Amino acid sequence: MKEPHIHTAFDRDLEAVQAHVLRMGGLVEQALLDAAEALEKRDEALAQKVRTGDAAIDALEQQIQSECARLLALRAPTAGDLRMVLSVMRIAAALERAGDYAKNLAKRALVLSNMAPLDGTTATVQRMARTVVLRLKEALDAYIAQDVAVAADIRDRDREVDQMYNSLFRELLTHMMEDPRNISAAMHLHFIAKNIERVGDHATAIAEQVIYLATGAVPGEERPKADIVPDVSAAEG
Amino acid sequence: MNDMRLVERDVSNRQAKIEARGVQVHYGEKHALKDVDVAILDRTVTAFIGPSGCGKSTFLRCLNRMNDTVASAKVSGNITLDGQDIYDPRIDPVQLRAKVGMVFQKPNPFPKSIYDNVAYGPKIHGLARTKAELDEIVETSLKKAALWNEVKDRLSAPGTGLSGGQQQRLCIARAVATAPEVLLMDEPCSALDPIATAQVEELIDELRTHFSVVIVTHSMQQAARVSQKTAFFHLGSLVEYGETGQIFTTPQDPRTEAYITGRIG
Repeated sequence: MKEPHIHTAFDRDLEAVQAHVLRMGGLVEQALLDAAEALEKRDEALAQKVRTGDAAIDALEQQIQSECARLLALRAPTAGDLRMVLSVMRIAAALERAGDYAKNLAKRALVLSNMAPLDGTTATVQRMARTVVLRLKEALDAYIAQDVAVAADIRDRDREVDQMYNSLFRELLTHMMEDPRNISAAMHLHFIAKNIERVGDHATAIAEQVIYLATGAVPGEERPKADIVPDVSAAEG
Repeated sequence: MNDMRLVERDVSNRQAKIEARGVQVHYGEKHALKDVDVAILDRTVTAFIGPSGCGKSTFLRCLNRMNDTVASAKVSGNITLDGQDIYDPRIDPVQLRAKVGMVFQKPNPFPKSIYDNVAYGPKIHGLARTKAELDEIVETSLKKAALWNEVKDRLSAPGTGLSGGQQQRLCIARAVATAPEVLLMDEPCSALDPIATAQVEELIDELRTHFSVVIVTHSMQQAARVSQKTAFFHLGSLVEYGETGQIFTTPQDPRTEAYITGRIG
């Protein structure tokens, strides 16, 4: 770890804002897991809890942004301190988006609980959600440890989630072709899957902030990707 | 207009005005400056930062041979101004200091009128043949130092009667009057209030269209605000020298990072 600042209050401010980001991360992770479970178990109460819980995530993001504004104005941070404040702001924004996706998942879970289930799909969604939550957790741990190697690894593994999304996309397409009455549920599930895939992108964005924080360099676009637009025709379906 | 600002701050195409190689300074037994290599660019503000005793002022004073006046100081290595060795025995240090002007920490106007403070340098260096020419130099210099409007009606009033900020701008006008090519400033704002500081900083930004400005400052924010290049000194060594934005966002040396983020005293 770095030497403490001569102004110890500066260290306390930086630690406080980082603690808020971790708390926010914890709330978002739980919201995603709960929303996916509510979908799988058709648990409307749990889905409602996720919907109302998003306000706390948004409030934390607001608090982090205003604390960062204060830090910039009052401490005029430079070098690693400056990069820390900038990365905290971006991570908080990414987590806030991920929280919105959890809320949206919960809303769709409520709608889907009144529709006929599509075999196996909600279990796949839950697996996807667990995978991205793990990715988020790893990204935030890498952030606290400023571990560039772990962060780079997280970027590379974004493919897994993309591949899960692609295979779920095919499954949903099959359900829709089998019976047009499945279309409504399948569309909801598709949006859910797409949103979870986006949470994976936000985990990647957080990993990139770890690299920026530690090295000052923003990684380029050369990471491996599998979220090519699925080109699945009826014949292949 | 952000792009304009970026272009304005880009000094990558500037030529070197002063080049220092292997500069060492000893004060008696004390090794105050160790093997400094640096190129100060033309029409660029360069800030020297570092904790007290790091050698930044010592190095600044090498650039116009102010250390000649310190009996115990021994300077070695090579410093050139436009390719010419300034420690060459044929160089007259007084002539050199007209080309490489200096502004000090505390405003130190001569106990003379405002006019005479500015006219003194041009007179002794024979830069004006007539009174009209001298008047012209005084007016231009005071204008360059952004002081003309405040003093034009009282040029015969004593310079010491001005406010601190005005006195410092008078000292800048005095330095500018000898048509220097480089202006050295040793903490020029440390005795000024924030408004006067802002005025002097604005002035520094204008001056760099004509000269190289080298400023020693203890205020890192000041270095960040006024300079395009920053040099960090520590324990007599030049640790890091680079574009100011880079030094303040992604310094390469951990000692620079520790200093600018307030982790070493």
